[in-house]
Amino acid sequence: MHIKYESIVREPLVDGDKDYHQVTEDIISPIERKPGRMWYVGFFFSVALLLYGVFCVTWEVYWGIGTWGINRTIGWGWDITNFVWWIGIGHAGTLISAILLLFRQGWRTGVNRAAEAMTIFAVMCAGQFPIFHMGRVWDGFFVLPYPNSRGPLWPNFNSALLWDVFAISTYFTVSLLFWYSGLIPDFATIRDRAKTKLRKLLYGVASFGWTGTAKNWQRHEALALVLAGLSTPLVLSVHTIVSFDFATSVIPGWHTTIFPPYFVAGAIFSGFAMVNTLLVLSRKILHLEDYITIGHLEAMNKVIVLTGSIVGTAYLTELFMSWYSANQYEGAAFKWRIAGPYWWSYWAMMTCNVVSPQLFWFKKLRRNIPFTFIMSIVVNIGMWFERFVIITTSLYRDYLPSSWSYYSPTWTEVGFYLGTFGLFFTCYFLFAKYFPIVAVAEIKHILKTSGEGQKKRMAAIEEKSTEEFVHEQEAAHAH
Amino acid sequence: MGQKQYWKGLEELQDSAANQEKLANEFNEPLAFDMSESLLNATTPRRDFLKFLGFSTLAATLAASCEMPVRKAIPYAIKPEDIVPGVPNYYASTFNDGGDYCAVVIKTRDGRPIKIEGNELSSVTRGATSARVQGSVLNLYDTARLRHPHADGKEATYEAIDRQVQEMLAGNASKPVYLLTGSILSPTTKDIISQFTAKYPNAKHVVYDPISYSGMLLANEASYGKRALPSYHFDKAQTIVSIGADFLGTWLSPAEFAKQYAAGRRVSAKNAKMSKHYQVEAMHTITGASSDERATCKPSEMGAVAVALYNAVVNGTQPAMSPKLNSLIMKAAADLKKGNGMVVSGSNDVAVQTVVNAINDKIGANGSTINWAVSSNYRQGIDADMVALTEAMNAGSVGAVLIHGVNPVYEYHDSKKFAEGLAKVPLTVSFADRMDETAQKCKFVTPDHNYLESWGDAEPKTGYFSLQQPGIAPLFKTRAFQDSLLMWAGATTTYGDYWKNYWMTKMGSQENFDRALQIGIVEPSGEMAMGGAAFAGNVADAMAKIQAKKSSDIELVVYQKVGIGHGGAWSNNPWLQEMPDPITKATWDNYACVSPERAKQLGADLTGQNEVVTAKHVARIKVAGQPDLMLPIVVVPGMHNNVVAVAVGYGRDKKVGMAAASSDEAGNKKGGKNAYPYTTYNGQTFEYSNAATIEKTDETYDVAITQTHHSYEHRPVVREYTLEEFSKDPEVLLKERKEELKEFVALPWQEGAEEKVEEMSAEELEKNFRINGTLYPQYEHPGIHWGMSIDLNSCVGCGACTIACQAENNVSVVGKTHVLKVHEMHWLRIDRYFSGNPADPDSIQTVFQPMLCQHCDNAPCENVCPVDATNHSSEGINQMVYNRCIGTKYCANNCPYKVRRFNWLDWNGADCFDDNLYEDYRRDGMNDDLTRMVLNPDVTVRSRGVMEKCSFCVQRLQDAKLAAKKLNRPVMDGEARTACQQSCPTNAITFGNMNDKASALYKTRREEQAERTFYVLEDIHTLPNVNYLAKVRNTEEIVAKGKDDILAEKHI
Repeated sequence: MHIKYESIVREPLVDGDKDYHQVTEDIISPIERKPGRMWYVGFFFSVALLLYGVFCVTWEVYWGIGTWGINRTIGWGWDITNFVWWIGIGHAGTLISAILLLFRQGWRTGVNRAAEAMTIFAVMCAGQFPIFHMGRVWDGFFVLPYPNSRGPLWPNFNSALLWDVFAISTYFTVSLLFWYSGLIPDFATIRDRAKTKLRKLLYGVASFGWTGTAKNWQRHEALALVLAGLSTPLVLSVHTIVSFDFATSVIPGWHTTIFPPYFVAGAIFSGFAMVNTLLVLSRKILHLEDYITIGHLEAMNKVIVLTGSIVGTAYLTELFMSWYSANQYEGAAFKWRIAGPYWWSYWAMMTCNVVSPQLFWFKKLRRNIPFTFIMSIVVNIGMWFERFVIITTSLYRDYLPSSWSYYSPTWTEVGFYLGTFGLFFTCYFLFAKYFPIVAVAEIKHILKTSGEGQKKRMAAIEEKSTEEFVHEQEAAHAH
Repeated sequence: MGQKQYWKGLEELQDSAANQEKLANEFNEPLAFDMSESLLNATTPRRDFLKFLGFSTLAATLAASCEMPVRKAIPYAIKPEDIVPGVPNYYASTFNDGGDYCAVVIKTRDGRPIKIEGNELSSVTRGATSARVQGSVLNLYDTARLRHPHADGKEATYEAIDRQVQEMLAGNASKPVYLLTGSILSPTTKDIISQFTAKYPNAKHVVYDPISYSGMLLANEASYGKRALPSYHFDKAQTIVSIGADFLGTWLSPAEFAKQYAAGRRVSAKNAKMSKHYQVEAMHTITGASSDERATCKPSEMGAVAVALYNAVVNGTQPAMSPKLNSLIMKAAADLKKGNGMVVSGSNDVAVQTVVNAINDKIGANGSTINWAVSSNYRQGIDADMVALTEAMNAGSVGAVLIHGVNPVYEYHDSKKFAEGLAKVPLTVSFADRMDETAQKCKFVTPDHNYLESWGDAEPKTGYFSLQQPGIAPLFKTRAFQDSLLMWAGATTTYGDYWKNYWMTKMGSQENFDRALQIGIVEPSGEMAMGGAAFAGNVADAMAKIQAKKSSDIELVVYQKVGIGHGGAWSNNPWLQEMPDPITKATWDNYACVSPERAKQLGADLTGQNEVVTAKHVARIKVAGQPDLMLPIVVVPGMHNNVVAVAVGYGRDKKVGMAAASSDEAGNKKGGKNAYPYTTYNGQTFEYSNAATIEKTDETYDVAITQTHHSYEHRPVVREYTLEEFSKDPEVLLKERKEELKEFVALPWQEGAEEKVEEMSAEELEKNFRINGTLYPQYEHPGIHWGMSIDLNSCVGCGACTIACQAENNVSVVGKTHVLKVHEMHWLRIDRYFSGNPADPDSIQTVFQPMLCQHCDNAPCENVCPVDATNHSSEGINQMVYNRCIGTKYCANNCPYKVRRFNWLDWNGADCFDDNLYEDYRRDGMNDDLTRMVLNPDVTVRSRGVMEKCSFCVQRLQDAKLAAKKLNRPVMDGEARTACQQSCPTNAITFGNMNDKASALYKTRREEQAERTFYVLEDIHTLPNVNYLAKVRNTEEIVAKGKDDILAEKHI
């Protein structure tokens, strides 16, 4: 078992005095039960939203991109805004699973499963936008570097958009592997508890014949580490490459070297907020308050205030650079962001992303669940606006004043966005029903060091003086 | 017998060893495939056989069952002599629309006209075209054209109509027959009209021009004894004063004048001289935009301005008008007195024109810049005749009216009265090409041919003829107007024969006739004769009349748009409807143009924030005796504060066509309002202004405007200098460029880099910037390197290039809804920038900048395309591969010039989805099978979802290269011309091979105009292949450079 001494001053990561069986019961039994009414309502609402999104996309593919509001001057609007937004959200999962694993952050165990699932679903949602923003989506396979009879004709490896294709597909693959490899022991648990044949069969297949031997565990741990090692650079690279879509261009407001770190920080910021949104809901609905504790939420909120501050610094740096560069186009681009016809989007971004997260400096607010929930939504609104500000309010007033323009989305564009929410929540509801939403094996891993029961047992020991403790130990181990 | 042996030769008989060997090796060549054991002994197992059988059957079934689209292509069974499929034929002809004249060359492909070019041999128009001339080819394929004659609104035959008309003409002998036409330039038509009037002795020919120049004709009659218009020579004028004449846009013969005008405006460092152009106007025209000094006044004050100018010229009297007007008049008077001056006026008032004549007389313009030896025939209508006709009709004393080329029910100021009169005439015939407002009220309609289907001729100036030949056989059951007249006059010849006889006689021989027909013009040789005229007008009387002229607080100006003109068929031309108005950049509508100050009072204040709002406040314009005119407000800096201007050509009847209709099928109001009813008759001539009041309303109306921002924000996008600045230091621009680029022309560690920059020539500067402004290696550009140079001084913003490009490159029309969504497709747009104080219309300076793909050698669009659909040709062209494009729009985002155009919807049926063609009613005519005949077969019609943009007319370049290749020589300068270049009336566009040092482009960019050459956004190292020549204004101050540019300060 995990050999680690943890001070009792540290907050327990699992509340309640639980044994391993209790943990399994708490987390697995919702899977075995029929879902509650809330689940059905939520699920059907999500599917309806998804179908509406499918309708809007079909409409757009059939009639053309002209059904959207983007135009001659503003070639990317809600589509790429939503793409970057979803991709950003998809960052938290891998960060939690990979980087926090490498840093041995025990608190990640309560949240990593949901966060990773969220990552997968968010990347799936994100992927829809670059696909369906293409004028001729049926020719979209041209971006793939496959041998062909056209010369062969290869994609343009200079294009940041092509890098995106590789970055996102790699990220999706690795995230999926990571998530799935973590699920294997838990699937085996479900299989072992299964009382119906179908469940036994399906979870049996899904668990790849996991038997829980030492060798199984050793390989599993090794795989987790390897994947963590692989995904750690990916966490940084994906949004870096997404930011290259803008940074490698010539448009004032896009052409900025600060973008990679700024985008990554923003991504973690929004991803953590999204994880918070989901956790607050899940722990309530699935009664997992003991596993997803206020302590977890507070830890998340700390990351939010950190990354929020990084993002705020980046905004100010951008403003400074637009002045310091003495480049008139750059200066004007930022002036028009702040005070042009789109001023409201800039100030929405500033309020939501820079001002409001600072409230998390107060411990009381960090540990306040309703406040955390509201903030998680506010941050994601702010981060949506950030992408909108970067994309639309850079394009709408660039070099030639003759082409300055304005843009509002149409119902198809909004519907597409809503549809990705439908996709996301449909997936999430299915996940919450059929998959253990908290990593059972990993919780058991830390139960004996960070669980509340353990802490209580340790408290008695802790109260003893050193001499007394040493004496007792010597006595106990004297042969 | 059985033993008998036959042998074929001695070798066989003897059967030597050598022969045996030879026989054995007779078929010695190895077989083409391996006849190894394994192959010969291979067995095809039954299973394999069945597999192959199954696969091939399935494959064959699949291949055979795929539905193959039926493509209609009908080859010639017998090839016509003159048509080689795929090779265009050109026919010299003449464009003529109610006196608007242009000598043209019709380009036909496979027997159908697809493009109009100017005829460069004509000494009148000298190859110039206008947007309307360029767009005229679309009128040929207009779906609203009548396809057969009509009697009482129903289809009829010519025989029946001829019989009835002849009977009625004969039976109505007591009452006069009126032939009502627009200005006719054709000598043969005039002959035929006189034959007709001779047949019916009490027949009268009334000439009526919807936009009338009667005032000038009558004033000239009084002043010089000739009811005629002179020839103007703007190229010879050193001082041009225009009092409300938009001679570059709409006045008389704008393409001709623009050509002349530009000749006097071409400045270079070596020849830093240019004409001085003063413009006084009520609204803002493109002529005002090009002028050096501009002031505004109310239309009722035009006479007073003329009088003030007269007094200043004659007595040096200081005028007492607005400060800007006062100084303008004094300066203009001083300049006019230096000689080679010219004053023109757009007024239709006899008194004003008389005073203008007097000034021209005093400054000696007649004979130097105004030519009375060769008069112009562009307009001949006398307004009083038309008014008299209307009176006569209403009095019931008219037996018949035959109406050709005009549409009084729409265009006449009192159209109701005209229509009522028309109803009282027993025989009414219209020759209109469509069921226009007048034709609907006529008993018979015998539609005339389109000009591209007609034989004919024109005499735009006395003695200067041009011939008209058809580019296509009549598409419909139409009949030449002249044939109808001949028929009804009882003549037996056809117009074709008559015309041929006339010209054969005139030319003397078949050879001369053929030659004339081929070149399209018959002109006296040598320079145009010049001559003056003695002025005998009554100035004092004219001045008195002007003084008596009443003015009102707010005045309405009824004007013509550059694209739509007087209305007519132009109202239904989707190209011209979608052509942004040069000044307002608005499309598809007419609207109330008001100044920013006036707009503020009407609650429609224009700011940098609300400029993006498409819903414009509707104003109520009240004119006595007329219903209120409700039109959206479009704010135009440079308008006089007390003037509201409304264009004609809108508010048309549904039958004029879908694009023109003022309401769609569902009855929704679209397409503006008719402004003609707000013109008046002053007892002598029509007036195109009126007293009015204007009020704000709570309504809004969407106006589709392609450029909403007015100022160029002090950016080095446009470079402007005063003539003085430029002549004092021709390197002023080069110095500015050096200042911008100095950091990037030398490597930082090179010694003395800064000093070196100072010494660099423009060419060295560009070369060093090209190399040192990037980390990347350089590409060699051997062979051809195409480039373009656009002279901002010559460009008058007329829009001919935009339409030429649209016609040449099959650029889609998107319709108003999508212009509103900023989805317009023009490959070549003309950016218009205002500078100055919006509150002071006299301070406004306006520049035009044609903007097209800059074909950057370091193009930002190219490296961002994920699939390499846009790339660079070895000849320097940034090219689009439509079928590789997946439509990410990344290239358009990354284009600093925003010239890339995306196919947002299925504009033209070229995509692979069924039934998803975009339809909005007004532009739907573009996709009719008839209208699609206008498409250029050399250019792909782009499908939905792909990006497109200017290609430098690559099809023309390829054509020129192939032609040269057949002659086994490189392509020569001037052989490859782009559509925009060819259409430009002012030769503002130079195109050619930059690697050819003898090319006009090289000479312009490197030699003659090296000092004026600049590139837009040069400092971002896009290395454009399109350069511009700086705007030089012959004035004291460039407003955009100073603090007075309030538009830039306030970011409007």
